[in-house]
Formats: sequence, structure tokens, C-alpha cells
Amino acid sequence: MIGEISHFLSLSAVVILSLILIFNFFFFFGKIHPNQLSLSIRLFNQACWLVFISFAMYVYLAINDDFSIAYIASHSNSQLPIFYKISSIWSAHEGSMFLWTVFLTAWSIFFINSLDDSHFLKKTTLLMVSLIILGFLLFLLLTSNPFERVLPFGAIEGADINPVLQDPALAIHPPMLYLGYVGFVISFSYITAYLFHGNFELEWEKDIKNWSLVAWIFLTIGIALGSWWAYYELGWGGYWFWDPVENVALMPWLAATAFMHSLYASSKSSVLKTWTMFLGILIFALSLFGAFIVRSGIIDSVHSFANDPQRGLYLLIFSGLITLLALGVFAYRIPSLNASKFVVSGSKESFLSMNNILMVTSIFSIFLGVTYPLIIEAINGEKVSIGPPYYNTIFTPLVLITAIFIMASVDSLWQRSKPIKSYVYKTFFPVILSILFTYFVWHITETFSILSYIGIFSGSLILFTYLLRVLNNFFYKKFINKGSAVAHIGLGLLFLAVSLNSILSYEKNLNLAPGESIFVNESIKEFSFDDIKVLKASNHDVISVEVSLLQDGKNIFLNPQKRKYATRGQITTESSIYTSILKDTYLTIGDQLENGSWTFALKINYFIKWIWFSASLMVMGMLITIFKKIAT
Amino acid sequence: MLQARKNRLWKFFIILFMSAGGILLILFSLNSKLDLFFTPSEMLKADIKPGYRIKLGGMVKSGSIIRDGTKIKFIATDFVKEVPVIFDGIPPDLFKEDSGVVVLGYFLDGMFEAEEIFAKHDENYMPPELSIEAAEI
Repeated sequence: MIGEISHFLSLSAVVILSLILIFNFFFFFGKIHPNQLSLSIRLFNQACWLVFISFAMYVYLAINDDFSIAYIASHSNSQLPIFYKISSIWSAHEGSMFLWTVFLTAWSIFFINSLDDSHFLKKTTLLMVSLIILGFLLFLLLTSNPFERVLPFGAIEGADINPVLQDPALAIHPPMLYLGYVGFVISFSYITAYLFHGNFELEWEKDIKNWSLVAWIFLTIGIALGSWWAYYELGWGGYWFWDPVENVALMPWLAATAFMHSLYASSKSSVLKTWTMFLGILIFALSLFGAFIVRSGIIDSVHSFANDPQRGLYLLIFSGLITLLALGVFAYRIPSLNASKFVVSGSKESFLSMNNILMVTSIFSIFLGVTYPLIIEAINGEKVSIGPPYYNTIFTPLVLITAIFIMASVDSLWQRSKPIKSYVYKTFFPVILSILFTYFVWHITETFSILSYIGIFSGSLILFTYLLRVLNNFFYKKFINKGSAVAHIGLGLLFLAVSLNSILSYEKNLNLAPGESIFVNESIKEFSFDDIKVLKASNHDVISVEVSLLQDGKNIFLNPQKRKYATRGQITTESSIYTSILKDTYLTIGDQLENGSWTFALKINYFIKWIWFSASLMVMGMLITIFKKIAT
Repeated sequence: MLQARKNRLWKFFIILFMSAGGILLILFSLNSKLDLFFTPSEMLKADIKPGYRIKLGGMVKSGSIIRDGTKIKFIATDFVKEVPVIFDGIPPDLFKEDSGVVVLGYFLDGMFEAEEIFAKHDENYMPPELSIEAAEI
């Protein structure tokens, strides 16, 4: 019964949203009625609340194990803790689409109600978000209905959540990511509304600035959590695989980062306005593209949901129309938008726009990498895939140029250029220090890979530039933009950590019998397979292995496991990780051989935790920026 | 022609030239960095140069997995042709007999040396080409 009510509430939301659009459409031709806006807002709020209540009921159903609902029956189980019963909702397509729609609704209702009733864009923005929410609700109900019942008799027990998804990081990863993805619906709708409105004397940046910054934070946390989860849970020991689905999350992130930078420039000195608007539209368009790639099953990936051409077609048409609408208005208004000032070369804006161009270039390269296999297959039926080597070669030069422009932009001025001489003076120390550092790395590792060394140099260039600034600020009280400094130190560290990780990390496959112990290398003098136990846990059997290592003169105990889950018969590998400041010692067990010995994969991952640390620095920098803005 | 217009034309050509160069570089990079995907029959038919990295997708033939220390040998099949594969390392959890597998590596003297084994996070996964062929059989 509750399932039907929940279903019905979602349907009512569809009806109300359609009503808003229809009656506003008719009013468009007639006179503007005084109550038109307040009625629209009221209806809109009601529709949003219907969606929320419907979702709350669905959560209630999941908690109470209503296995007569097909989706819950196939993704949850009565033995699961409540936390995972709830997170099982977004463990597959239908439920995660529901969550996506709920977040879309939540952002929209908050934003619309934060605008004054007299705000010149309130009505048009409201209509835009109503249209988008309606589109996704219809997609949910028509092609991927989470409310479907198994009639007449429901399942007695659920099929259980996929065990690799039964993990706190993964329970939080999709909500964070979706909050980021759909958060940009605000900049998208608002900018489109602004373009529709056509009075370009009025300010638009400040209304959406903080909203976009918050969405960026969610997106960053979402991506970082996903990568962290993949590292410790999947047992592959990597943090980023250039998988199509990772790429479609990276594209909106890059666009959002570019957007924030140019938003900063355009609100400081009213340049780059047109460009900023374009980026604001692009972010959400890329999110929609991502949804299409993941949910149509058009590309094979570890994340992709089941193949369903109908869903893909719907999403393609819907996101195509929405994007076309926004870009169409944009193109129509370009002639009247061109009034903004020119960028002075050598000024801060010019460096910001250079980095913007680089970010768009990276987006384009990723886009090409994602779609190229599809294009090739459509043309001559050949199957190809594009892996890390492509992205590494494309990104390394971009990273270097980005680093150089970041370094130059730190000391530049708004709207004015500075004499070249002053740059030479300011950049001398960072450049020298980076060269020394890169040489130092080469000296101790004695391995060479041109790409990684470019990465190390670029990372340290950014890092030293900002560290020197911080010192300057500390001793001479020179001005420093704290948020920006923290975020960029994060970026420098990220480049460094990724590059150092790629040259220093190594991996050894071992084969030992219980009780045996061997010499691995100079760093790991002893690897002993102490014990193996078979245990029983609530919903799985565990093979638990105890290993002790003598690493760098220290004794380390590791406890990797293999689990076999009862309901799905699925086997998962639980890695065991020992973390020190410089490196992670990462161990997984493989299989048992006929002679009773076991295989192990031992990975030494250098600087890997620094990757997530640098992501959190970026988030922190952004938080500082937001709070500073609220405070002033 | 007006000077301003001439300047604009120049700028236009410079931008056009640079973006064309950029796109060419990307395409060049794409061509040398992509991995072609084959089924065993396609791979044996195609003339693959040694040292050319490719992806091979098939099913793991039942009873064909042989473990020797950390090395694994198995036969990838598409129910028509078979290719022996050798891999040093630990395969993913979903690697097992009679299920789909995709390997990345080099084909040398009748033996596929895999650098990496991919298996999907779905126990019922089969490479799309094979599911069509399997349905026909």
C-alpha cells in the first residue's frame, strides 16, 4: 500500500509540474496575471515536497524489507544493517535515478526559494528547473520504475546488495557525486533564464556563485571517495583507471573548475562574461552526457548499468533537447552579449583565461577519448578501447602549461600587465627549486619516465610558488588569497603524488605455503605466511590470512581476506593495507594452488594517500573561499 | 581591405591553424594509444604484428585453468576458435571457468601474453559479441 502511495505521489508531482509549464505557456501569449508567479511557486513547492515524501516512503519500504517491490527484492536483504538497507536504494539503476531526481528537486527548491519574489529571473528559472525535474521524473517512471511490484506474491527474501557495494565509502560516494552533478542545474537554469530575459545590464554572477562552489565541493568529494573506495575495496590497488565512467565524472569537474575561475574573473573586472555563461551551461550538459553514457550501457565499463536501449534513447533525446535549448538561446544572444571588455594580455584575467582554455582542451580530449571507440565502431565496426597511455600523453603537456600559467598568474594584477622583468624575479626561486627537486627525485630513484618527470616538475612548480607566497605572507605580511593558496597547494601536491606514485610504486606476485617465509627485496627482508583460518560471518564465509612483514626494520602485520557471500555466491577480496607517511603496503590474497600454497599480490604504493589528502586540501581551499565571502 | 578587418582575418587564421594542429596531435595520440578488441576467431584471422597491444575477449574454457606458482594459463574461446593465454599475477575475483573474460596484452607465437585481466562486476557478464554468438549456437 505504501508503495502505491509513494508511486502515486511521484505521479502527482509529474502532473503538477506539467500544469505549471502548461499554464505558464498559455499566459506567455496573454497578459501577465498578477498571481501567476506566486501560484507557480506554490505549485512548484508542492511538487517538490511530493517528490521528497515519495522518496521518504520508499526509504521506509526499504528499511522494512518490502520485498514485494521488485527493485528492493533484488537489491536488499533482511539481514542487512539499516544503513545498507538504505544505501541499497542507490546501488543500481532505478533507485539511483530516483536519488538523482530527489537531489535535483532539493537543489531547485532551495535555490528558487532563496530568490526574492521580485527577482527578475525567478519565473523563468522556475520554469527551467520544472522542465528538467519533469524530464527526469518521467524518465524514472516510464523507463526505470522503482515502484514495480512482483504480483501476486512477493519474494520472501531479498537477493542482497552486491557485497563490494556494502561499504561505508561507497554508500556515501553516489549521493555526494549526484549532489555535485545535479547542483549545476542551478547555474544552467539561471544562465539560460538570464539569456532568455535579455537585459544584460543586470548582474547575474553573485546569485549563483556560492551555489556553484558548494556543488563543486560535493562533486570533488564524490569523485575522491569513489577513487578511494576503488583503491581499498576492489583489490586492484589503483586509484584511477581512466574508465569511461570516471571520465564522464571528470569532465563536469573540469568544466566546473574552469567555470569558477572565470566567474571570479568576470565578477572582479567584468571580462569573459560570455565565456563564463557558456561554461555554466556546459557543466550541466556534461553531467547529462555522463548520465547518458552510464545509463544507456552504450560503453562497456565496470560501472555501467544493464543495457537498455530505450533508456539510452530517452536520455539522449531529453538531454539533447535541454542542452540545445540552452545553447540555442546562448547563440541567439551572442551578438548583444559581446559588449564586455577585452582582456589585457599579461593581466591576471589573461592567465585565468589561458588556464580556462587548457581545461576546455582537457575536457575535449577526454570527450574524444570516451566517444572515439563509439565513432570507430559506427564507421567500420572495429572494436577499440582507449586506456591510460592516451590520457597520460595528452595530459602531461597540459599539466606543464597549466603549472606555468598558474605560477605566472599568482603575481599578476587585475586588468594590468606587469613588466616581464618582475616575473623573472618572482619565478626564479620556484623554478630553481623545482628543477633541484626533480633532479633529487631522479637521483634517488634512478628510473626515468619523461611523462612522470614533467608531472613532478609541474607539481613542484605550483607547490613552491605557493609555499613561497605563504612564507612571504607569514614573515612580511604580504597579501595572500588563503582559499586559493590552499586549493592550489592541493593541486600541486596532487600532480606530485600522482607522478611520484607512478614511478616509485611496484608490485610483486608471491607464492607461499602456510608457515613459509621468504625474502622479497632490500626493503622487505622477510615475508612470512603465519596462519590461515576459515571463519563464518553473518552472511559470508571468510578465509582470513595472517601475514607478517619485516619492512624497513619494522614488523608489520597484515590480514587480507577472501569472502564468499552466501546469497549471491560472489567472492570478494579484502585487501589489507599498512600506511606510513610515504607509502602504503597493500596485500591481497589470490588463489590456492593444488599443492596447498597460496598466491599473494604485494603492492607498494608510494604517495597514494597524498592523492586524497590533496583532494581534501582543494575542498578546504574552497570552503575557506566560501566562508570568507559569507563573512564579508 | 580595412586594417582592422585584415587583423581579424589574421587572427582567425592563426586560431584555425592552432586548433587544427591541436586536434591533429590528439588524433595522432589516439591512433597509437588505442587497443583494438578481438574475439579469438577475429584475432587468429587478423594478422597481428608482434609487439602490438590488443584486447582479447572470450570465455574461459572449462577445465582449462592451470596454475603454476603465480602464473596462470587458460584458454580463451569464442566456441569456434581457441587461444591459450598466460598471465602472471592475481586475476580478479570474477575470473573463473565458463565466464567472460577480457585480457589486454600481446599475441606472440600462438600464445597470448596478458598484462592485465578484466572481469566485470557482474557475474553474468559476457562480452557483447559473444552473447550474440552464444545465442546463435
